Amino acid sequence: MAKTRLYRFLSTFCDLKPGEERITFLLFFYFFLITAPYSIIKSLRNANYLDSRGPEDLPLAYFLTAVLMGFIVTFHTKSQEAFPRRTLIISSLLFFTATSLLFGLVLPMEKSVLPLVNWIWANVYIVVLVTQFWIVVNDIFNPREAKRLIGFFGSGGILGGIIGGEITALLARSRFADSLLVIVAGMLTVCIFVVYLVLSPQRKTRMRGISKSSAKKTPPNLKDVGFKDCFNTVRGSPYLKILAGIVTLTLIVSTLIDFQFNSIIKTAVTGGKELTVFFGHFNAGLMIAAFFLQLLMTSNVIKRFGIRFTLLFYPLILLICSFGIFFAPVLFMAVLIKGSDKSLSYSINQSVRELLYIPIPPEVKYKAKIFIDMFLNRFAKGIGALILMLILFLQLDIKFISLVSAGVILVWLIFNWRVAREYVGTINRQVELKWERADHILRDQVDVDATKLIFDTLASKNQSSELYAMHVFDLINQDKLTPEVKKLISYKQDEFLAASLGGLFEQGETGLIPSGVEPWDEDELTKEIKKIMSMDIYQQFMEDYVDNVLSGGITDAETQKMEVAKAIGMMPVQSPLAQKLPELLEDQSPDVLKYAISSAAHLKSREHIPALIKQLSHPQTREDASAALRQYGSRIIGTLADYLADPDESISIKKAIPPILAGFASQETVDFLIMELHVDQQEIEMELVDALEQIRAENPNLNFAPDQIRNKILQDILHCYNLLLKTSSSPRGVQKPDASEAFHGQSQLLTNLFKLLSLIYPHQDMMKAYQNLRTGTKDSVAYALEMLDNSLKKEMRNYIFPLIEDISNQERLKRIRFLMRSPAFFGNDR
Amino acid sequence: MIINSRSKEGVVIFDIEGEIRRSDITDITLHQLVKDQLDKGQRNILLNFESVDFIDSFGVGEILASYISTHNLGGSMKMAKISPKLYMVFQVTMLTKVLEIFNEEDLAIKSFVKE
Repeated sequence: MAKTRLYRFLSTFCDLKPGEERITFLLFFYFFLITAPYSIIKSLRNANYLDSRGPEDLPLAYFLTAVLMGFIVTFHTKSQEAFPRRTLIISSLLFFTATSLLFGLVLPMEKSVLPLVNWIWANVYIVVLVTQFWIVVNDIFNPREAKRLIGFFGSGGILGGIIGGEITALLARSRFADSLLVIVAGMLTVCIFVVYLVLSPQRKTRMRGISKSSAKKTPPNLKDVGFKDCFNTVRGSPYLKILAGIVTLTLIVSTLIDFQFNSIIKTAVTGGKELTVFFGHFNAGLMIAAFFLQLLMTSNVIKRFGIRFTLLFYPLILLICSFGIFFAPVLFMAVLIKGSDKSLSYSINQSVRELLYIPIPPEVKYKAKIFIDMFLNRFAKGIGALILMLILFLQLDIKFISLVSAGVILVWLIFNWRVAREYVGTINRQVELKWERADHILRDQVDVDATKLIFDTLASKNQSSELYAMHVFDLINQDKLTPEVKKLISYKQDEFLAASLGGLFEQGETGLIPSGVEPWDEDELTKEIKKIMSMDIYQQFMEDYVDNVLSGGITDAETQKMEVAKAIGMMPVQSPLAQKLPELLEDQSPDVLKYAISSAAHLKSREHIPALIKQLSHPQTREDASAALRQYGSRIIGTLADYLADPDESISIKKAIPPILAGFASQETVDFLIMELHVDQQEIEMELVDALEQIRAENPNLNFAPDQIRNKILQDILHCYNLLLKTSSSPRGVQKPDASEAFHGQSQLLTNLFKLLSLIYPHQDMMKAYQNLRTGTKDSVAYALEMLDNSLKKEMRNYIFPLIEDISNQERLKRIRFLMRSPAFFGNDR
Repeated sequence: MIINSRSKEGVVIFDIEGEIRRSDITDITLHQLVKDQLDKGQRNILLNFESVDFIDSFGVGEILASYISTHNLGGSMKMAKISPKLYMVFQVTMLTKVLEIFNEEDLAIKSFVKE
């Protein structure tokens, strides 16, 4: 995609991808046009209220705001369900535009009730408009996009606060002081146009809030939608409850800090206009700090430390500042604590908190957001207000508030730690397993052995009646001679093969069974046949015939050999005729070999193992030999491991062994396979890794030697890096192959890498990530990356991400070159 | 057995002629041919059985192995134009539960596109 001038400009501030510049800029501007007016409104609100009613009346303002928010939540939720997003937001903006003009007219006239109403109105303004903004962000971006861009468009809000604050400070003492709310109305009007632009094209292509399934749902009954519905939504989810807890605790602390700040300022700065100027400058100053924090640090901090540690940053700073106020409740500390609170709240904390919402399913998220960001936002201030009222009632010192804050912050830290863990789980639930292993599907739905037996039975009909009969006998023995199978293999009356065993069960179809003869009982037949074949006299009787067949002294020797090979499988392992099997296992005919191998599987004699293993090298007999060796059970593991470890053994045999071993999900097998993985045997690496992954899926509790696997992963990553660097450099005049295409063409490397990761990280998580990276939509790829970002250890993440992230070739190679220079890569882990 | 391959609308089609039995196989098996296509990045595989007379258990193993290899890489393998008798065998053995089988090649190709 062509890089526009806007893209080039914005990409200096954030990790922007081509095509994202328009929406990012619009969101920046949208947020700016909400917060700039609010900065003006807030300054006027604070000044008016403190001047006319005083700080001791603040708890009342907090309390009434909290109560009213319940009704606002109900109203907003119903409106959200009833109206399209754009209509709702633009209507809200129109409302606040009109009411700001109204307050501009009436506020100077009355100093008792109107400041309180204005206070409440200002709080409703910021809560509703900011929540709506973040709902739009959730609609548009997936977690990876949001992480990259939130620093930039979030700074739009902060810049708005700065500009609004400075406008207030400049105009408050001038003759334009009464026009401040008109300026607010003007900004909100422009905001309406920006919202229109944000939502119009995005609605068609990027809106993620409305899934196909929810679009088809019956619209909810508006009577059921409301405050209670939102409350139950939050109550029903552990993750949302923790989020709600965090918001509550944050705002209680913030309320306490706000009171301490305002109390100290009121004594230090006197006069209504001076207070307005002070708040104007203070808000602008704190916004400047927040702006630079947001623009330069937020995305980098989140990227570097992850969500878990970033969440701890804000409360820890406040904890230190609270102790500062306790020991020195002076103007400087008041400015420091309030400045820290608000600058961090507007920047890092707001961003991280919004990121916590993104992986929540849309049908739950928007109700939760409204409840938490609108109602709880103010209700928590109400709780803070009650605490303040109690402190004031008890006439306790302002320092005591610091102790209360410290206690609440400690609880808040615990909640933050827990939410980070739940965030990973929430992300994981958004990443779906796209396909199960096909061998598992087949195992669950198809009896492959019985299927092959039926095919062999049908094939044998044209070869020999004895073979056919023996196959029918197998079907009986394995309880697979169902009515459907009988019908499938039944003969017509005029076919000469009707004298087969099968005819005994096909009354009326062969014509050779006298009518009135009772059919044999299946169990009885099985016993009789086995008894006959184990008799010494039978063995002696058949010996000459078998020797004649094996020597090739008769016509149609191949068919006779097949019959003999099959029959031997029904004899006792020590019987004289069974000793002829090794010769049949060396036969040139694949059909004879098939029966000989099958009989070896029945007899399970150690003597036949080398011959069976030899057959692994031939495509015609590999599957049969593998199946036969599996029949030996776990005692074959050691023997197979020996063949695997033999450097002189053929590659085709070695390749066939790991899939057999994968059928024995034991620690012994795992240990053998891992040992072989560390020998330099690139030709069979794929099979070894696949076998280990299969075992991991079956039995995740086995020990997969994490340190050794980690070393192997690092080696494979280094191999990938070298491959990419090699394909990126070519002689002059020769067209360079695209590095990422070259890598992705090496899909087996990536497959192996993820299978290895699944041995030391939760298996299903790694498989989900791999599948979504290979075949997912843009969003599911983003969620897969986010899951890996939060699941992998930092070192592993750093090395793997350049291989899987959607970044430019140039960036990928740059990161690879950097990582390859890093001493840590070649350190203790290797 | 003779196996020819061709491409149509992003689907690799293997036209199989003759009998799929172990005695007719050389070093290159159906499964190997499918794996070669998977290594080239192909993910949609169609087996055309119009000219297949006979399958033994080895043939069944080849089909299932090809299915497993394709599916485990996120691809799809389907079958078309198998004879009524063979189809009945597939039904009795419940292979039709897992393998998608179409009467006509065009229908099979369309089903890949729909996915």
